[in-house]
Amino acid sequence: MGNKKILVADDEVHIVQVVAMKFRNNGFDVITADNGDDAYTLCCEEKPDIIITDYQMPGMTGIELIEKLRLVPELADIPVIILTARGFAIEDDQKEKLRVAECLSKPFSPKELLAHVENVLANSAVK
Amino acid sequence: MVFSKNYIFLAVLVFIVLMLIAAMPLGGTTLAEALACIAAIGAAGWLGWRLFIERRMFLVQVASLRNDYKNQCEKASQSINDAKDFKLQLQLLKRQKRNTEAIIYSISDAVIVTDASDRLIMANEPAGGLFDFDVKGAMLKPMEELVSSGELKKLIGSSRNSRTRHVRHELQFESGENTQTYDCIISCIYDDDDQVCGVVSVLHDITREKEISQMKNDFVSHVSHEFKTPLASITAYSEMLVDGEAADEKTRKEFYSIIQSQAQRLNRLIEDILNISRIESGLIKVNKEAVSTALIVRDAAQMVKSYAAEKNITVEDQTAIVFDQVYADKDMISQAVINLLSNAVKYTPNDGKITVNSEVDESQQVVRVTIVDTGAGIPAEELPRIFEKFYRVKANNKFAKGTGLGLNLVKQIIEKVHDGRVFVTSQVGKGSCFGFELPLLATVKTGTR
Repeated sequence: MGNKKILVADDEVHIVQVVAMKFRNNGFDVITADNGDDAYTLCCEEKPDIIITDYQMPGMTGIELIEKLRLVPELADIPVIILTARGFAIEDDQKEKLRVAECLSKPFSPKELLAHVENVLANSAVK
Repeated sequence: MVFSKNYIFLAVLVFIVLMLIAAMPLGGTTLAEALACIAAIGAAGWLGWRLFIERRMFLVQVASLRNDYKNQCEKASQSINDAKDFKLQLQLLKRQKRNTEAIIYSISDAVIVTDASDRLIMANEPAGGLFDFDVKGAMLKPMEELVSSGELKKLIGSSRNSRTRHVRHELQFESGENTQTYDCIISCIYDDDDQVCGVVSVLHDITREKEISQMKNDFVSHVSHEFKTPLASITAYSEMLVDGEAADEKTRKEFYSIIQSQAQRLNRLIEDILNISRIESGLIKVNKEAVSTALIVRDAAQMVKSYAAEKNITVEDQTAIVFDQVYADKDMISQAVINLLSNAVKYTPNDGKITVNSEVDESQQVVRVTIVDTGAGIPAEELPRIFEKFYRVKANNKFAKGTGLGLNLVKQIIEKVHDGRVFVTSQVGKGSCFGFELPLLATVKTGTR
């Protein structure tokens, strides 16, 4: 079985860099985007196994990105984790409707983020 | 003879008895008086008796009339007193009404008083203005005709029916394109039988308070977001270093450098907030001296060039070095120019252009600094609010993150500290021109602020 592919979308270059390094160091293939539109294009081209996205980004927001993904059959089931500095990124009913796996807040621990991703991937494999 | 003596005696006796009977209706006639009367009759004859009786009757009638007159006088006097009391009461009521009207007409809240049938019995000008009716001409008109707000009419009706002493509601009214929010207090008026005979509605405009509250909430949200972003980098890179995930010395140094720059970013944000707070409270230390605006602008333009280069934006400084000295705090003016230039870079798309200029306007005796960009631009309706604290142009949120503090700091520095003026012109999609004017040194009376 090959490496899992993860897409990291955030307009803060340092956040993208540190998350990418953490996942590369732990055997993931990492692709990155600094805005919602590029993230969507990459999803279509690369079909990642999981996505970590910021909430507020130039162009499409994280939520708009997820909404768009859920409309495309081959991308609709990709698990998504939102990583945001906003205190209230998403309501519970919206989280359920968009099938957001986790909503984590910044500042964050790369170690814990890795654990969350592995957990989400394990759960999606069971389903 | 015996018979005639007896007969005379009997006749006298009968006469006396008759006299007594005749005298009895006269109230207050004693036996002695009756006997005296008989004696008088005996002495003066029948005429005297008649005169006596008539006099007695006359006196009694006079006494009766006198009593009637006295009673009527007392009644008249009572009526006069009652009338005086009534007049006083009326004056008191009129005075109280005038006091109430003076209070109602002098307050800025809208006040509406309605009777038990929901007809208007009192209203002030703010109420007329709010619901667009003429206050004087609207008296006794039903509320149905005067007030368009169904919610307010419903509240007045339900308060009256439920006999609730006070109810408080927040109501919103559409005014053109704007929505105004009012804190509405409705109180019932009770009569002597404890029945509701009217309703007072006081509407306090809280639109501005709501806006300020919303701006504060947005500010806390923005600031916490702005704080968390560099903090996220600092904690993540620190953890990576602690966990030994930075493989070599070069990576470690890069991590240290990122932590340092993010800590500085955090510090700048805190300084911005504190500077605004210090200027507003008048606590900031200002070191004014004769400085050249052109030199400040040139240094600031140099500082943002590397930042602009990341987006391939050209920064062109057209400032000519002339005598353009102003009496100012160099660091603060520099901060203002950097804030304007940073904003221009933030909101200008890649490959754009920023033109900076500082010129002397001899006619106005001012130095005018302008920063023109080819950026996103600002909608005309938002321009008047652009320098307000925490205000951000919603349409441009996607271009860059920010707290809405940078432009307010510029305004505080230029206008509050240096008696200058900030200005802005803009066209959506074409770009903006931000700038400020400072009085030329010759026109400023130097002194310590």
